[in-house]
Amino acid sequence: MLLPDHSYVKVDSLEDCLERLRENGEKAMIVAGGTDVIFNMRLKLFDPEVVVSLRGLEELEKVEEIADGGLRIGAGARLADLAENPIINSRYPAFADSIRAVASTHIRNMATLGGNICLQTRCAYTNNSEQWREGLKTCYKTDGNICHVLKSSTKCHAINNADTPLALIVLGAVLTIQNTDGSRDVPIAEFYSEDGMDNTMLKPDEVVTFITIPEVTDRTTFLKIAPRAGMDFSIAAVAARCDGSGADVSKVTIVLGSLSTHPIVLDKPARIVSEKGLTDDAIAEAVEQVREELGELTNLFSRTVYKKRMANVIVKRALVALREM
Amino acid sequence: MAKHMMTLTVNGDTYDLVVSDTQTLLDVIRDTVNLKGTKRGCTTGACGVCCINNSKGEAVLSCITHALEWHGESITTIEGLAASGELDAMQKAFIEFGAVQCGFCTPGVIMSAKAIVNKYPQPTEEQINAGLAGVLCRCTGHIKVKEAIRQDHGIREAAKNAS
Repeated sequence: MLLPDHSYVKVDSLEDCLERLRENGEKAMIVAGGTDVIFNMRLKLFDPEVVVSLRGLEELEKVEEIADGGLRIGAGARLADLAENPIINSRYPAFADSIRAVASTHIRNMATLGGNICLQTRCAYTNNSEQWREGLKTCYKTDGNICHVLKSSTKCHAINNADTPLALIVLGAVLTIQNTDGSRDVPIAEFYSEDGMDNTMLKPDEVVTFITIPEVTDRTTFLKIAPRAGMDFSIAAVAARCDGSGADVSKVTIVLGSLSTHPIVLDKPARIVSEKGLTDDAIAEAVEQVREELGELTNLFSRTVYKKRMANVIVKRALVALREM
Repeated sequence: MAKHMMTLTVNGDTYDLVVSDTQTLLDVIRDTVNLKGTKRGCTTGACGVCCINNSKGEAVLSCITHALEWHGESITTIEGLAASGELDAMQKAFIEFGAVQCGFCTPGVIMSAKAIVNKYPQPTEEQINAGLAGVLCRCTGHIKVKEAIRQDHGIREAAKNAS
């Protein structure tokens, strides 16, 4: 599978990059680590005319402590470097775990945090070669008007399989998004949409440049279920956060990933344990409510029933882990 | 599809290359520099047989990165390990422990193994597992490979103690 024809541009500054994106609009695509972009180009799912490379831009690789105790991370920082960053490991252990959960050592040596946040959604039907896809009608993602996963659906159901956004959502991280007109700050919790085809609020001329995490002293955890621990996309992943100590809590946040087109912030289960504490009974009651908030579960990458059970299992494990911390 | 000039150091030799926009680093290593040791497998980052080491001695995949991305950088391929004609300690260990069967994945596995010991001179079981997770062997499995990596550590320790 050869790469489709395109021109490659290496930029030497962020301004240069933003200018190129403004010039080329939807015809351009950013590459940093390359692990997701080139993969999708090989499958002819991405067909950019211009590939703009941000790799090695020092301004986007920095990890800086900020005045109010938080951390500002450049979107171009490699996952392998972040996984070993002492500040991230000591202050944001759940975030560190979510970084180490991404793919394999080889991929993390190339992939960037910004790339994982903007990861393209995946579908068992469309993530195949062009020849394979020819056997089926085109779908929403390939310029058609049907979803092969849920035939009656009016939208694309491809799954958001990124791990790091879950931890970033519970930590209350904020993304800095830039284009030639300036920059805007968006909480990562509002970054994703419910459409698998166009799953982030990023416009064609915009780039995620920085990720700012506030100071967090609460307990946090991240867990992932995947076919193989060392190298696979999640079947289900969860990040959770709570204050207090032991079973005594007043605010719990739970975010589930890899089950839908976007990370799901669980509302009712979190409220139940926030009110009743992390007791065995309250956790069991909260887990009962998880399915209610998952929306349409599909059979993408594993069976629906299995996913439903695993969502319950992983939420329970996360809440118990928080209590034991 | 425009062509560009780039410089790439492979196994200590610096090449001035003419590379097109759409070529990956793997294409250039195999077809332009003409070193066929690095293999083309899945070309999507799942199998790891195209693994090479970057200038920091880390394992990276050459099939999912533009060649032009590597302008001015230095890489090591499997050929670089035995550049002097004598096999590297890791290669000897792979032979001794039978960590090779059909051999197709072996360049990728050995470059991954080198990256493990470059980073952790005395790797733990966990570190070896994590370092090998991104590279697949469909015939001999990873047990013999892990034995070879641990033995490699032993050989170097012994050499250090003897000198």
